[in-house]
Order: sequence, then C-alpha cells, then structure tokens
Amino acid sequence: MKSKKKSNKINEIIKSFKTQRQMWAICMVALVWVLVFCYVPMLGNIIAFFDYVPGKNLLDCTFIGLKNWIDFFSLPDVWRVFRNTLVISGLSMSIGFVAPIIFALLLNEIHHTLFKKVIQTISYLPYFISWVVVASILLTLLGTEGNINSILIYFGWIEKPISFLNEKSMFWGILTSSNIWKDLGWSAIIYISAIAGVDQELYQAGSVDGLGRFGKVWHITLPGIAPTIILLFIMNIGNILNAGFEQQLLIGTPLTKEVYENIDTYVYRYGVQIGRYSFATAVGLMKSVIGFGLVVIANKISAKVTDMRLF
Amino acid sequence: MANIKSRVRTSTASKVFDVLNVIFMLVFAFVMIYPFWNQLVISFNEGSDTVKGGLSFWPRAFTLDNYTYIFNRSTIGKGAVISILRVVVGTVLTIMFTGLLGYVTTIRHFTGRRFVRLVFVITMYFGGGLIPTYLLYTQIGLTETFTVYWLPQLFSAYYMILISSFIDGLPDSLAESARLDGAGELTIYFRVILPLCKPVIAAIGVMLAVTHWNSWFDVMLYNSSGNWDTLQVYLRKILLESEQASRLLSEQKQYAFMRNLTTSSIRAATTMIVTIPIVCVYPFFQKYFVGGITIGAVKG
Repeated sequence: MKSKKKSNKINEIIKSFKTQRQMWAICMVALVWVLVFCYVPMLGNIIAFFDYVPGKNLLDCTFIGLKNWIDFFSLPDVWRVFRNTLVISGLSMSIGFVAPIIFALLLNEIHHTLFKKVIQTISYLPYFISWVVVASILLTLLGTEGNINSILIYFGWIEKPISFLNEKSMFWGILTSSNIWKDLGWSAIIYISAIAGVDQELYQAGSVDGLGRFGKVWHITLPGIAPTIILLFIMNIGNILNAGFEQQLLIGTPLTKEVYENIDTYVYRYGVQIGRYSFATAVGLMKSVIGFGLVVIANKISAKVTDMRLF
Repeated sequence: MANIKSRVRTSTASKVFDVLNVIFMLVFAFVMIYPFWNQLVISFNEGSDTVKGGLSFWPRAFTLDNYTYIFNRSTIGKGAVISILRVVVGTVLTIMFTGLLGYVTTIRHFTGRRFVRLVFVITMYFGGGLIPTYLLYTQIGLTETFTVYWLPQLFSAYYMILISSFIDGLPDSLAESARLDGAGELTIYFRVILPLCKPVIAAIGVMLAVTHWNSWFDVMLYNSSGNWDTLQVYLRKILLESEQASRLLSEQKQYAFMRNLTTSSIRAATTMIVTIPIVCVYPFFQKYFVGGITIGAVKG
C-alpha cells in the first residue's frame, strides 16, 4: 500500500518533468550550481579526517580519524584562540547589542522630522563602507601622527604619542568600538521600525493614566519592542563563534596577534597561508558544528519564549 | 488631554532631556562623519605638511598632488574599471538568476517547488567553510579569473526567499493569464513579473552592489597575482605599505619625495576615491534598503 503510494508519487514527478519542462529546466541550472558551489564544499570537509595532500586522490590519502582535533586541542594556542573569539563576540553581543536599542529610543524622542531623518541617514553611512576603508581611517586617526594623539598631547595627558594599534591592551576596545561605529545605525533600523509599529492609542491611554514622557518609554515603548529585542538576541546566540574576520586581518598587527587571533583567522592562517589543509578544515568544521548546535538551541529557546521560530 | 500634554512639554526634566538629546545627536553625527572628513582634509593637504600633525578641519597647505599622483599611477584606473565591472556584472546576474529561481518556486502547480526551496534553504544553515571552498575553486580553475567574482554568488537562498515572498504578494492572475496566452516561463518572468518587482530588486541590488564594491578578501584569496585587482585591494596594498613603514619602491619614493607626498596622504586620497561613490549613492536608495531589512527581519 505504502510502496504503491510512493511509486505513484514518483510517477507524478516523472510526468511533471514533461509537463513542467520549462520550470524544471530553470531549476536544473540552479540545482547544478548549488550542488557545485554549496554541497561539494560541504562534502569537501571530509578531508578533515584524512592526511590530505593537494593533487592526490582522496582514496590514496591516509585516514587519520580524529587526529587533527587531538592535535588542535593539545596545542597551547587553542585556549588563546577560544578566549579571543568569545571575548570579542561577547563584547559585541553585549555592548554592541544594547547600543542600537538606546540609539533608536533616543532618536524616537527627537521631534523635528528633518533633523531626525538626517541623523538617521548619517547613522548608517559607515555600514556601507568596507573594512579596508575603516582600517585606513583607524590607521590615520590612531597613528602616531594622528589626531587622537595630537589631542592627548595637547591636553598633556600623554607625553609621547602612543601607537594604539600596536597596543595589546587596547585591541579589544578598538575593535569593539569600530564594530559598533560601523553597525550601530544599521542595527537600529529594525528597532526604529518596531517603535513606529507600537500602537499609538497606547500612548494616549498612557497620558490619560498620568504617565510622563519617560514613563511612556519605560511602560509602553520598551514592552512594545521587547519581542523584537528578544528575537534578535536569541538569533545572536548562533553567532557566538563569529567574532569577525576581515577586521582582524586588516587592523591586527604582528604585535597584537596574541589578542586578535580567533577561530576564523586561525583557519585562514593554517589553511591558506601555511598550507595545512586538513588541519585547518578540521578546526573550521568543529566551528561549524558548534555553530549549528547553537542555532538549533537558539531556535528551541525562541520557540518557547516568543512563539517565533527561525526554521 | 491637551492639558496633560502641555504639562509634560513644559516639565523641566523633559526640556533638559530634549536639549541633551539634541546635543548627543550632534556629537553622534560628528563621530560618524568626522573620520571621513579627516581623510578628505588629509587627501587635499601636502603630505609633508600633514606629518607635522594637528591637521583638523581644513587643509593647511592645499594641493591636488595626492590625486594627480594616484591617477598617474596608471594601474588604479584599471582597478576602478574592474571594480565597476564586478559591481555591474555581479549585481545584474545575481538578480536575474536568483530572481528567476525565486519566481519559479512561487508557481503553485510546480511539483518541484518545495524540494528546490529546501535544497537552497539548507545552504543558509550549512556552509562548506573556507578551506574546502578554497580548494574547490583552485581545482575547478576559478582562481585568477574574473568569473570568481560573480559565479559563486549567482544564486542566494536568502535573496531567493525575499524575492519569492514579494512575488507571492502579487496577484496570481497576472502570470496565469500570460500562461493561458501561451507565454513561456522566461517570457512571463522578464515581461510580467520582473517589472513589478522593482522595490525588492532595488533593495537587493543596493546590497549586492555595495557588497561587490567592498569585497577585498576574495580578491586577495583567489586572484592573488594582481591581474584582477579591484580598488579595495589597491587601498589594502597601500595600507600594508604604511604598516611596514613605507616600503615604496625606490623610484616611486623619489618621485613621492619630490612632490611632498607621503604614504598617509596617498592613502587618504585613495580612501576617498573608494568611499565617494558609496557616499553619493546610498542616501538615494535609503527607502529601498530600509524596506528590505524590514521584510528580511519578518521572514528571517
């Protein structure tokens, strides 16, 4: 009975190849593309379990099982790499998460429409600029001849110019600040539209109940955008291991490597620069698996807390 | 009611807050804009003068030398051409192909619709990772080609979803009546559907164009020979020169010395060349990408 149903379904699909020829032809192009550019690299991760040598058939390579991961976890680098990844993404998940919400709330309190619009337009300018440009700007402003040093020297707070980008102790601060500078306006868009969606009658009711201006923000606006805030925060959980890549490669210097190297830059360095493909793939695969696990957890939490699921 | 409103308006705390809020926004705008302004000032100032420091709001020793030097270094023109080509080819092809896929997966009577969608949605959660992708591109000969800039981005699951959800909102009868008239799917897509999708295409187009304009890592990774260098990579190379304490070639160094140029002033001018197109374009596309991000958030 079941197999009959199945063969009916198969027949139906085969028939559809003829009747829906054009649609299938279009989809074939897309499916071939997705196979080559998405699924083949996914399968390519298998080299993590082999001692892969480029140009050699995979079947001729020695199977080494979990050796790459054992190697990775026995290296002294590993804790530093994890620490940097978690610290940097932790900073952007906390400060970088709250900043756009505060900005959206403050902007909402501006009553002059044109001023509000201009400020918002300015706020997402940096989002559209490449990290290369940001790195160039940072190099100029924070360099020994830069304006930050000039100001500090002018007020007598320091005597000699500081090479900020080469200071280990400042790297996390500089990176987080530039992340926030770049993304704040863009991340705020979603909150601004959420605020605009709050029922206006609630504010009128609030006035009648004697709520002041700040009371309305606290008791009406914030609860109104809370679902958005919660959903975005949960979605962030899946990104804990994404601590940035381009930024580190561009702003990082050999002197700050100890504090900037995260899992992604580590994979790049070992894979592309040193050429230990299997090892780097193993580290990258570990990151993807943990990352996917986190997304699943985030989705579960989201379904429970907000009734909204990502998938 | 009006009474309460006026009372709130006149409360001192509220007034103080308004003033502080406006001041905060002005400081905020300054922090967002000044870094760019600073680069602009340096790019129009003599390099030898900039080194003295203290350059803040206006060029002290105005010059166009930084720009003339860059444009005389003929290769940057080539970089600009490649950047523009990449933006145009990459954006147009991705919109065409991903849009077509988005359209096909909205046709209700198409049997493969769910399957094709699923195959693409999976790619949003699982990726190949840097190294397997890099090895694949090397093996299939995508390195040292222009193709590597558009082919790997030809389809996108995320944009497919955005486009399909937009097309889902259009009345079915449009495509259906064209189909009854005997039009093929490609004709329906290009003649009927695509012209109606302007808002979503504008939103996606801006994002794609900006991404292509700003990419530098894939250039560095896949086209390391320098034959297909984009503007961003030019800037990146100048950045490296500054980091390594100005390792310009001796010939260039001499030329630079003669013209009062320094690496930092040339870098500032290059930064401006890379930035200005975006600054000029993005305000006009605002309403589209603001709309796009809101759709994306609802669907995502």
